[in-house]
This record gives sequence, C-alpha cells and structure tokens, in this order.
Amino acid sequence: MVSAALKPDPTGLIVPAAQRTEIALCDVSVKYPVSRSAAKTVLCGINLEIATGEFVVVLGETGCGKSTLLRLILGQEFPTTGTVTVDGKPVKGIDPRCGYVPQKYSLFPDRTVLGNVMYGPENACSRVLGRVRPSYWRFRRSLRADAREFLERMGLRTQDMDKYPHQLSGGMQQRVAIAQALMMHPPVLLMDEAFSALDPSTRASLQEQLHALWLESRPTIVFVTHNTSEALLLGTRLILLGRHHDDEALRSNITLDMEIPTAQLPFARRKQSSEFQDLREHVKLLAYNCSSMNREKGSPDLLSKAGDPQ
Amino acid sequence: MKAPFHPGDLIAIQVRPARMWTQSLSWVLFVASIVLYVQFSIARHRENPEDRVAPSLHQLVQGVKASVLQPAEEDDPVDANAPLFERVRHSMLWKDTVASSRRFFIALALLIPAVLLGLHMAVFPYAGAMFQRFVLFFDKIVALSLLPILFIVFGIEEWSKIMLMVVGVAPTLILDACNIARSVPREQIVKAFTLKSTNADVAYRIVLKQVMPQLINSIRLNLKPLALFLFAGEMIASTDGLAYRIAIMRRHMGMDIILPYLLWVAWLLFFVDAVLLFANRRLHPWYQPL
Repeated sequence: MVSAALKPDPTGLIVPAAQRTEIALCDVSVKYPVSRSAAKTVLCGINLEIATGEFVVVLGETGCGKSTLLRLILGQEFPTTGTVTVDGKPVKGIDPRCGYVPQKYSLFPDRTVLGNVMYGPENACSRVLGRVRPSYWRFRRSLRADAREFLERMGLRTQDMDKYPHQLSGGMQQRVAIAQALMMHPPVLLMDEAFSALDPSTRASLQEQLHALWLESRPTIVFVTHNTSEALLLGTRLILLGRHHDDEALRSNITLDMEIPTAQLPFARRKQSSEFQDLREHVKLLAYNCSSMNREKGSPDLLSKAGDPQ
Repeated sequence: MKAPFHPGDLIAIQVRPARMWTQSLSWVLFVASIVLYVQFSIARHRENPEDRVAPSLHQLVQGVKASVLQPAEEDDPVDANAPLFERVRHSMLWKDTVASSRRFFIALALLIPAVLLGLHMAVFPYAGAMFQRFVLFFDKIVALSLLPILFIVFGIEEWSKIMLMVVGVAPTLILDACNIARSVPREQIVKAFTLKSTNADVAYRIVLKQVMPQLINSIRLNLKPLALFLFAGEMIASTDGLAYRIAIMRRHMGMDIILPYLLWVAWLLFFVDAVLLFANRRLHPWYQPL
C-alpha cells in the first residue's frame, strides 16, 4: 500500500507542478492582542496561491510570521481578516489532509517507532471499538510490514523500530516524524523548521531524503526555515517574509515570491552550480536588507540566528 | 580510575561518591536515631524502671507480640493454642490494619475521577473554564473544618472518614493533574489531529497515556496527606483503625504499642509507594523524568 504509493519517479527530474491551486490565502492578516486596547500585527496583506505538488519554502528572520503562516494553513490558528482555503475548502480547524512535522516534540514518547508510524493509519482504518474485528488485525499486520519497509527506506535499522523516541538521536527522530506524517499520504505536508535542531551532516542527509520522497509522491510541501541554502536547495518556490511594522499598515510581509530556477537541476548538482551560489547571495542580501530595516526601526537584529553554515 | 576519597569531597558538588559511601551514608541517620533512642530509654529506665514514655527494647518486643498475636481489649480472646495464622488474623494489629486499609483504598479509588477531572480541565477548554476557579477556591478550604459538615451529611460511620480523605486531597490532585496535562506540548496535540485522531483519542490515547507516569507520581506524593486525613478522621470518631488504636494507647501511655504502630504505618505507606513506583517503571518504560 505505502510502498506502491511511494513508488519512485522513473525520470528522477522535476516535472512542472500541476496548476490546480491546493492552498490559497486571500488578504490574510493576523493580529495578536498585546493589551486591552492594542494589537500587534504579525502578518498583513498575505495573498498566496500554492499549486498542487509545489515545494514552497518560507524563509525569514525570527518573528516575521513564518510559523504563523504555517499554523494558518494547518488550521491551528485563524486569520484576523481574510480567508485560507485548502483544496478549495475554507480551513475551519486542524485539517487531517495536512501532514505536520514540527521542529521538536513531533513523536509520541509513549509509543515505539513503529507505534508512532502506525498510529495515523490505524486511526484512519477504524475507531477504538472497531478494533475487535479480525479484519482489523489482518490490516494491522500488513500495515506493520508496510511501516517497517518505509522506515527502512528512511534509513532506520530493524533494531531501532521497537525503540522509544528518547532512545533515538535527533536525526532519527525527525526521520520517524517525517515517516509518521507521510504514512497518511497527506496531499499537503507542512514542516516547521523540521531540520533546525540537527547537525549539518544529518541535516544534509535528511534534505536529500525529503527531496527524494517529494519526487516520488509529489505532495504539496510548505517548508519553513531560517536557512537560505536549505531553502534554495529544497524548494521549487521561495517566499521571503519580512517583519511587519505597525507604521506600514498596508505593506505585505511577503518581500519576495519567486520560482527557484535551480530547482530544474538534479538535486546532487544544485549546490555546486554557480547559479545557486549567486542566488543564495542575492537572497541573503535581500534578507539582510529586511533585517537592517528592522534594526533602523528598533527591532532586534535576528538575522544572525538565520545564519547559514552551508 | 576513581579518585581516592578526600575529606573536602563531603562539601564538593562535582564528585561521584562510591557505592560503599552512598550505602553507608544512607543508613547513618537510622543508626544514629536508634542509638539516641536506646540511650534515652536507658537513662529514663535508670531513673524509673517502670517508665512508659521510652519503652526499653524488651518492652517494645512485648508490645509487638501483644499487637500481632493478641486481640484487642474490646474483642473476644483467642485460644492460646490456636494456630499462629488464626492468632494473627484475630490480632489487634491485623484488625486495625484491615479497617484503615479499607478506608484508605476506597478513598484512593474515589480519587480516580478527580484525576480524570483534572485531565479534562486541561484538555477541554470549556471544562477548564467551568471547574478551574471553583477547584482553586475549594483547594483553599481547610478540609478538617469540613469535618462537622461531613459528620452531619454522612454520619459518624465509615463514609465521613472516607469523604474527609477525598475532600482533603481531591482539589490538590485535580489541580496537579490539570497542570501536568497542560504540560503536554501543543505540537503533539496538533500532530495527533493531523493523524485523524478524534477529541477522545487526543484526550485519552495521547494526553492521558503520556501523563500517566506523572499522575502516578502525583498520587504517590499525596499518599501522606491521604493518610493524614485518615488519621484525623479515625482519631476523632472511630471504633477501629490504626489511628484509633494510637489514640486509645495515648490515654494509657502505651508507648510500647504506639511506637510499633507508628513504624508499621510508615512501613505500609512506604510499601504502597514502592508498589506504585515499581508499577510506574514497569508500565511506562518510556518515561524519562526530568
């Protein structure tokens, strides 16, 4: 079941994304109350359409509203004004059509690796009371085999599958978290700084794996990151968010929204290309300018946190 | 290789004592207490050989024998030739232990809904809004001040004592369970919903399962307050129970019975605590205390 769905794309190259709109944000703004009479605007004037199968990377300094944007799509938060739709339907709550991989706390500590990965499909198959039927246990056996196969492809060893999350390294935990989300075959995958806490080599390996998985099943991915290289390496489209200031009431947070030209190159060659290097410098400069503007307006300089070791 | 012991290590932070040291040090205060008591008892018996305030070792052994093998004064005597098991079963200590344990475990069982209420208050915002303020207020009411009301409502029989324990411990347990359940990271709840969980799934299969070890620890911490309210109830109005016997013996200055009873109560609580700790470790091998 899973293995069939994740069958590799024979071409291995990026094909143009389908044109159907999967996620749409229309005139979205988000304000948080800071006192009884005042509110802070986090997002303003967001108009965004994300097509099915796109790999959208959201980049920006801390506090610019990247995670808020993700939570709006997920249905964890609602916009103060505007509308958010997923697959043409307005988002009214947390949507099971969206997979979610946060930076941490993504696994249930009381379940083993296999238990975590099988949790979603088990829920989807039947409710707790339906689990007395023999058909459920047959389904569970086949699900277990699928989960094992998928985890092996994600680089987990057989002996790791019965371990609890705390017994795994950070990289392994994130692999399991991605597997947990992808086992549900979500049409939309939302990743909130999913690789931020990992060391560079684990991060690079997971980036490669995520890209391969995206090529295979082509879900729509919205990936939030601080890291410019990671953004340009993974995505097909880049959205650079700037921090909103209350004195610019109508200015949108979206500083840059562009297709990433290097996405057409094979993954392994992307980083070495001169185009990639130029693009990275360009985006970094843009991000720096955004951050400088914030400094002039008295906001703390947080660009350093978005440092780019790669 | 381990560094040799240096006297300065006793007040150092960055040291790891050898097992022999940790074992020895953990028993020092027990041994010191026994030595002090024996010295005190010898001194008192030197002044008055009939002293009952600090019974001698011999008196204590006689007291233990009387508690474990003889029935209470108010009960019928048991044949001295009866088998040991029969004599123990009809003994004062056995009768009191059974009476107190029954009350204790009924109260403990009645506290399970309190834990569940705390969970619901944390997980379901409307339940939190409804109960939080009331429980916070109720928590500040001194439970013993409710005892006359409990006597009026439940009579002076078993239920007033059991309800005193429940009323005394429940608010703390509810608030503790609520705080523990609120500490589950929001990301996990969101993730569970994206994995097609229902509200009930999130409440019972995600949050409750995850906080269960901490809830058991919370119950362990509340064992002593529970015993405290049990003793208060038994000392005020009871005809049996460990605290009742201690209260009766106090009138007769029966320290030879009171001291073994006191140690027995401590041991029973220690045993229940150890059982819960063992069960917690066995049932939740994934739990990583901070």
